[in-house]
Amino acid sequence: MAGKGVITPQKDRSDLIVRLQEAQQRYGYVPEEVIRALADSLNIPVHEVYGVASFYSFLSTRPLGRNVIRVCKSLPCYLKSAEMIMEAVQKELGIGLGETTPDGRFTFQLTNCIGLCDHAPAMLINQDTHVDLTPEKIKQILKSYQ
Amino acid sequence: MENKINLTINGKEVTGRPGMTILEVARDNGIDIPTLCYIQDLPPIGACRLCVVEVEGSRTLVGSCHTPVAEGMAIQTHSPKVIATRKVLVELMLASHPDACLICDKANICELRRIAADLEIGLPRFRTRKHYFPVEDENTDMVRDMSKCVQCRRCVIACKSKGDEPLFGMAYRGFDSKVIHGYDQPLGSEACEDCDACIDICPSGALRKPRRAGEERAAKALIIKG
Repeated sequence: MAGKGVITPQKDRSDLIVRLQEAQQRYGYVPEEVIRALADSLNIPVHEVYGVASFYSFLSTRPLGRNVIRVCKSLPCYLKSAEMIMEAVQKELGIGLGETTPDGRFTFQLTNCIGLCDHAPAMLINQDTHVDLTPEKIKQILKSYQ
Repeated sequence: MENKINLTINGKEVTGRPGMTILEVARDNGIDIPTLCYIQDLPPIGACRLCVVEVEGSRTLVGSCHTPVAEGMAIQTHSPKVIATRKVLVELMLASHPDACLICDKANICELRRIAADLEIGLPRFRTRKHYFPVEDENTDMVRDMSKCVQCRRCVIACKSKGDEPLFGMAYRGFDSKVIHGYDQPLGSEACEDCDACIDICPSGALRKPRRAGEERAAKALIIKG
């Protein structure tokens, strides 16, 4: 990661996604200031940077919780009752899809296929994979994230 | 010899020059292929897909506005498959388009409506799902109503082609895709030079001039075939 942070002046627009990922990692989301600064330093319009940042589901333009839960919504997981997992997560945390718990501990999202179909249903919490889920397992898994 | 490309469109032998698109050759030969995002003299966008045609040997339908002609191509511009595809495309556009034609400024000069009429599209077959965005009238010379936008991207290309700082881009994804300005903020009067390039080419009622008291709005009657 660049020592000077995400707004190190760069002239190459092909750097854009890497810079946005850096910001996402550093701040937990991509703040408006970063988007405007990137547009400035890469010499591209703000709408283009915002367009890219808002397009990718692993980049967020709004602050997220400390831990981001992403339950897979693709077909194999769906066939293995991913909906029950989604329900279990929502019930456990008391939040709806796309929402963040009031204490900022969790954000609940869905994701497209994460390549764990052989162990469906699957989910990601931050960078960690959790597979072969059952509604009963959810409580225990969530406990380990603070 | 090198400067001519021989092909057939709907069984008729025609010629084109290298670099010409299927659409250009077809129009030169009086064949009407409907388009919604295409604008003559500007780079093709290929977003609306209404100009798709069947090319023999091609697995999929191809967009004629951005596909160059090649020697020996055999093209069908109005085959049943092509027509059916175009119809579905417009039906899908209408499925997320507000039912505001009665009070819309574009009403009977609307390109989207004209194309829907040309393709003889009837009542909606699909469950409709609308976009709701607040109308942006911060700019004194333009009203943007993104609820009516069909995302043809003409305004994006037109603004970009002017050579100044482009004002529009695409953001979000899927059904949420939207033409935005800046940080998805209303377009104010100071950034825009009011050249009207985007308003003039908008195929729906998404971009329009503000209504001024006493101004006449003349338009031809829309003739619905049937």
